[in-house]
Amino acid sequence: MIRRVAFNLFAWGIVLAVAFPLFWMLVTSVKPQFELFRRPPTFLPETWTFEHYVRLITETPFLGYFKNSIILSVSTTVVVVAISTIGAYSLVRFKYRGRESLAFLVLFTYLLPSVVLIIPLYLMLVSLGLSNTIFSLVIAYTTFALPYALWLLRSFMAGIPEDLESAALVDGASRMGAFVDVILPQLLPGIISTALFTFILSWNEYLYALVLVNSDTARPLTTGVMNMLVSSFNIEWSLLMAASVMMSVPLIIVFAFLQSYLTRGFGAGGVKG
Amino acid sequence: MANTRWNGNGMTRRAALAGLAASSALAGLPRAARARTEPLRWWSPQSAPAQAAAYEFQIEAFKAATGIDVVFERTSDEGYAPQLAAAFSSGEVPDIVTHLPSFAAQTYYANGLLEPFNDVIEAVGTDNYYPGANNVFQAEDGNYCATGIGNSAANMLWVRRDLMEQAGLDKIPETWDELRGAVQAMQTGGLFGAPLPYGRNSMTSLIFIGFIHQAGGQVFTPDLQVNLDNEGTRNALEFYKEMREYCPPGATNYSWGESLTAFVSGATATGIYTGRVLINVNDQNPPLADHITCVTYPRMSTDIAPWTFNDFASVFIPAQSQNKEAAKQFAAFLFDPEGYIQQLHAAPGHVLPILRTISENPDYQNNAIIQKYKPEVDLMAASAAGGFNLGYESAEHASNSKAGEIIGSNVISEMVGRVVLNGDNVDEALSDASKTIEEIMAS
Amino acid sequence: MQVSQTVLERRYAALGLVLIAPTVLVFCAVIVYPLVSAIYLSLFSIFTPTLEGDWVGLDNYRTLLAKEEFWTSLGNNLIWTVGTLTLQIIMGVGMALVLHQNIWFRSLARSLILFPYFISTVVAVLVWKWLFNDLYGILNHLMIVAGLIEFPLDYLGSMPNAMISVILVGAWKFFPFVVIAVLARLQTIPDALYEAARIDGAGPIARFFDVTLPQLRDVLVVIIMLRAIWDFKEFDLIYLLTGGGPITSTQTLPLLVYKEAFALNQMGMAAAYAVVMMLIMLVFMIIYIRRTRQEEET
Repeated sequence: MIRRVAFNLFAWGIVLAVAFPLFWMLVTSVKPQFELFRRPPTFLPETWTFEHYVRLITETPFLGYFKNSIILSVSTTVVVVAISTIGAYSLVRFKYRGRESLAFLVLFTYLLPSVVLIIPLYLMLVSLGLSNTIFSLVIAYTTFALPYALWLLRSFMAGIPEDLESAALVDGASRMGAFVDVILPQLLPGIISTALFTFILSWNEYLYALVLVNSDTARPLTTGVMNMLVSSFNIEWSLLMAASVMMSVPLIIVFAFLQSYLTRGFGAGGVKG
Repeated sequence: MANTRWNGNGMTRRAALAGLAASSALAGLPRAARARTEPLRWWSPQSAPAQAAAYEFQIEAFKAATGIDVVFERTSDEGYAPQLAAAFSSGEVPDIVTHLPSFAAQTYYANGLLEPFNDVIEAVGTDNYYPGANNVFQAEDGNYCATGIGNSAANMLWVRRDLMEQAGLDKIPETWDELRGAVQAMQTGGLFGAPLPYGRNSMTSLIFIGFIHQAGGQVFTPDLQVNLDNEGTRNALEFYKEMREYCPPGATNYSWGESLTAFVSGATATGIYTGRVLINVNDQNPPLADHITCVTYPRMSTDIAPWTFNDFASVFIPAQSQNKEAAKQFAAFLFDPEGYIQQLHAAPGHVLPILRTISENPDYQNNAIIQKYKPEVDLMAASAAGGFNLGYESAEHASNSKAGEIIGSNVISEMVGRVVLNGDNVDEALSDASKTIEEIMAS
Repeated sequence: MQVSQTVLERRYAALGLVLIAPTVLVFCAVIVYPLVSAIYLSLFSIFTPTLEGDWVGLDNYRTLLAKEEFWTSLGNNLIWTVGTLTLQIIMGVGMALVLHQNIWFRSLARSLILFPYFISTVVAVLVWKWLFNDLYGILNHLMIVAGLIEFPLDYLGSMPNAMISVILVGAWKFFPFVVIAVLARLQTIPDALYEAARIDGAGPIARFFDVTLPQLRDVLVVIIMLRAIWDFKEFDLIYLLTGGGPITSTQTLPLLVYKEAFALNQMGMAAAYAVVMMLIMLVFMIIYIRRTRQEEET
């Protein structure tokens, strides 16, 4: 019993240490600006204030950026998951030439440093007439989200027994019919987990958003907040921390509920490289 | 030639890259067709909330006067280089860009990316400017590549009178020896002497170039030969190194924001910044408001003239803008007294008027901060008007279109870091830095 | 029967190609095209904002291999990658083992541990910069109170502190990825294996090395490769945290590429750096895949 308590305390000690920045972010965001400049710093706020949140929502384009980020991440996720699901299905369950080398190419694409893809990508987006739109970022994010999603779903798909599909085919289902009725339900945990990873990637991206989009109507949170609050003339830590909290909390709530999918999905994906 | 380059045909060297922009010819058509209906795009890295509000006012007023729409898009000091590079290379450019340093405008102009600005300067009225205010924007071909939208005196020495009194000092430092003595006297347990930047960033480069000149040195000769290795630079490095112990430990990573915040929050006894200090102290740390003042930054000796760093915030129009005439109209309109004064009041003392007529305008003077700190604001205005930067080291210097790249390469801040933080050999650091600058000049 | 089956097979193959088509299309458009451009650009001397320039052939490559900055950046890149990756794996596997146990409020603990991975790099950097702050940072204060240090530490502006800080923040930000993967795998290890080991008299440590680790091998092989590639390419975190400083002590190759491309306006040179970077990763990847395959066979 004592060992169990000791182990629990030990485990929670580490957990709290890892989560300390989260705590500090919260605490800082409710301290008034002048209290931040107290030395030594106060641990818990002496005066609580929510003015930074109010200012963020009423005086800055924060909510606009937030909306852009949501649209951007959801669209990227939908596009990437749709393409990679059928792509993975094809790679795993169909036989044609070049299948294996394509799978290798997927890995190879990881090696490209994004810094150098930016200008050619930008030129392409401009010639498509898409520059400075959320959609241009959706395309750009596909570059780094798709290889991973495809890889994740491919190994997931491989884990689904072939018999199920064959049985449906024998029953007279068409190939696509079998895919929708049999494969998709089996694949759902994998799809959810892939969707979560894609969402995280696109919610957090910074460099592409910095270069490809320069209008407040399309700017996502990452560059929006940096642009708005970190400038050469002022660093408002409390406002920054309030923004950070608001950028993170929705994600944390969603993922707290879906967390089991995240680990379960990866399990099947991770077993086979 | 700048005008035809982007139409997709008849390109020379550009043709080498035609494969890359395979569809740029296609894209040219819809872009030209769109041009007339789309609003003007205005970029600026200066967009504190109050400034953004002032810009909105100017945009509304311009729309009311001409019916032309303008949208403001914020960029940032760190972000503008890649953003403008992407914009220029694709042809999807903003129609007007404000508040970038003069040397950025010179670089772009030298590569044929900007529209000559002579018309706008005439429209604003050559006589309204401070004498010589546009010299810094004169390009090699004799045209103006841009004009100023505001001056700034970025390396003023800010001091706290209350701390000086406590330390028994009655003279504000004019020389380095006095400065060193003063910060030494004022530095106590939790309070540091100065927030000088030692980071690998543009602030360190820009501020240190000021120190070189305050020691009588220079980076280039007037005909733009690299002349970094001189007595002045050596003395500046030595003094800058001595000052390290009076700066907060984190100064090794300081840039403008951190340096400013250190002084405003009361953590350092002196500061080095523009007049932005005034509004920030009044907003964030009112108890200091009655104790602060500023002078030009001390020099090695009083024989050397003060050297004020002014980045000469500019206005320019990209040559690829589809709406140049409207953009020029708007550029001139930015100086319309009502809107311009509002813009200046959004950061009183930070962005200083470029027009003599505005400084004298009672509406401009009618601002609580400007009135409260009149001697300081007047001093900054005078110092900034006679200020310099790396693109324009002195009145004798030819304009240097590579200045932006030299700052961006961090070669000067790296040299400072090597000598001050690593204790590297000064000769070696100087010769390496000179070599790198020569390479940049040759590229 | 025989004939109709091959027709069916051929039809299936066609369907398979249709299904993979969007993927291939996207790959060509967003990856192959920029990749080819990058290689192409690296043969020119190009001014970034105009993309104009002269053909220089392999000159860019010659210059960069002779440049000291390239080799120091490569060195930094390796130190950063190896350092942060090692920490991520150790912390990740350790934490996964802890979270696999039945501790109090397990799902809350799991959410808290995964949190650094969810948040933006931008947010992570801001929070850590505030924790590290020399004047108002809580970290210095706590360490002074605890008697570990006497004066505030300079976390980001001096060496080796800056490299250590960057590595630590990187490990903090990305180790939950390892936790996720390992935890998932742990859940699929049959309890019978542990029972058998226990009957054989193996203690907890022996059980870890004899049962858990071999079972985790496959998943670790994949994770190490993915994370190594991602860490090697990492730009946002280092750029926002130190910008490569002090001097060039934390400047990795992606930062060097960025500097060449956008500060020095030398797009051709930047592309050359990027191509070399890719080749380095490719070599490492091939060696790594070979090694793990060989081990599998033996």
